[in-house]
Amino acid sequence: MAVHADLPLTDPATSPSPPSPPPSPSAPPDPRGRRRWGRAAAAPAVDRDHVVDAAGVSRSFDGRGVLHDIDLQIRRGEFVALLGRSGSGKSTLLRILARLDRDFEGSLQAPERPSVVFQDSRLLPWARVLENVNLGVEDRAARERGEQALADVGLAGHAGAWPKTLSGGEAQRVALARALAREPELLLLDEPFGALDALTRIKMHRLLRSLCAKHTPAVLLVTHDVDEALLLADRILVLTESRISFDLQVPLPELGRRQADDFPALRTRLLTELGVEDDDH
Amino acid sequence: MSVKNVENVARDEALRPGLDDRLAQPSPARRPPDVLVRTGTRALGPVLLLLVWTAGSATGLIPHDVLAPPGEVLSTAQRLLSSGDLQQHLLISLRRAVLGLALGVAAGVGLALLAGLSRVGESLIDANMQMLRSMPILALVPLAIIWFGIGEEIKVVLVALGVTFPMYLNTHAAIRGVDRKYVDLAATVGLGRLALIRRVVLPGSLPGFFTGLRFAVAIAWLVLVVSEQINASSGIGFLMTQARSLSQTDVIVVGLIVYALLGLTSDTIVRFFERRALSWRSTLTSH
Repeated sequence: MAVHADLPLTDPATSPSPPSPPPSPSAPPDPRGRRRWGRAAAAPAVDRDHVVDAAGVSRSFDGRGVLHDIDLQIRRGEFVALLGRSGSGKSTLLRILARLDRDFEGSLQAPERPSVVFQDSRLLPWARVLENVNLGVEDRAARERGEQALADVGLAGHAGAWPKTLSGGEAQRVALARALAREPELLLLDEPFGALDALTRIKMHRLLRSLCAKHTPAVLLVTHDVDEALLLADRILVLTESRISFDLQVPLPELGRRQADDFPALRTRLLTELGVEDDDH
Repeated sequence: MSVKNVENVARDEALRPGLDDRLAQPSPARRPPDVLVRTGTRALGPVLLLLVWTAGSATGLIPHDVLAPPGEVLSTAQRLLSSGDLQQHLLISLRRAVLGLALGVAAGVGLALLAGLSRVGESLIDANMQMLRSMPILALVPLAIIWFGIGEEIKVVLVALGVTFPMYLNTHAAIRGVDRKYVDLAATVGLGRLALIRRVVLPGSLPGFFTGLRFAVAIAWLVLVVSEQINASSGIGFLMTQARSLSQTDVIVVGLIVYALLGLTSDTIVRFFERRALSWRSTLTSH
């Protein structure tokens, strides 16, 4: 059940909406054709379709503007990738959505407690793996979900291990299990694979896709990796100079994206948007 | 498809970095023969010293009233043990040390928690503690005698005071040093303030607590030695002071050895508990 922040909603008439399909009262087709039964009942009365509805969000540090007038809507079950160069403010936006930063202007409607996966696995080194997955979870049924989540990321056998004994990829899988065991409406990923080697990253992409298919949270993936965004996301946003400068519905098939004809062109387009020449094409 | 992929990732062990492999291979310096050789080399120094002492005493180069010969120290120790004097004084010294240590640890940790977890506590406590820490604790002896007399209390109080500071300083620094990113994590998983303290702050500051404890134990003995020699009618320190007035260097040396053994034993005990409580820091203990 979603707990929503007690923040003012913007008037839909005055707030410019990104080029996403208009909200409809009936359950919309999932962009990936996933079934999302049982989810509509949990949706708040205010807005059935949008898990995140941010309008005019601005944030500055000591007078230096990092985010300027950001409008962002994320639909239920939608996988959004947020691309941006270092220092573009993408992590700041994620921290605002994660409720870790409340000193922003504008209005935000989002789950009060989204799950977050950080770039570092951020496992408590003094708690065993299963304890980390279930951190802050008290009731027994929810703790069993934690065991299931650990099994889903293939680490059921490591429940009693100390985090220091895990490899980087394993630790990040535990962090994913910790995030998903809570059945979040919104999953925030802050460059979660940035510190992993290329081979592990490929495995993690595959795992993340299958986990998202199972749990169907709305996802905001913050990354600077164009390929990663193109492989995983339904929709890609580019953050440039503290504004969202580009909003793309990814017109690629669910599987075999890298082989799709459009892939190189989209890649070049996004790189250009990020101010990088694509030498390969 | 999803289930299959999950399993593939699970079975892929080839992607794990070489950390485990490196640890599994014994480094050359740790092979048993080298350990034996090194222990032997290290024992050489003390053995030589003992030989010099024995030879010096036997030839009269070291007069008896300067330092008793090793054999006499040994027989004195046996005499004191069989008469029960040593055990009686040892128990009294131990009781003072343990009592003072317990009080000091409780005070130091309590103050560190108050100062580390609340802004008011920080401003009230920390400045005072940082100011007082620069004062040598034994400089308090004259004042302590006026306040507590020369009975049992003063010894326990001095030990407790000496212990409070290293406990406070190390635990407080550790609480302050708990990584901010874990506090962020705690917020995202919805830990309340008490749960944050119990699950994150306390375990995270445990390494600092143990560092403080090891300092504290060493200081406890140091303060006890001094306070028992100033004004006491019992304890190891008293035994040594009494021996001094009779020029019994053998008894003094026995007292020194007992103190050394006490220090060594207590440090070993603390290290044992430290290893157990901080087993998460070692990568070899589980898996």
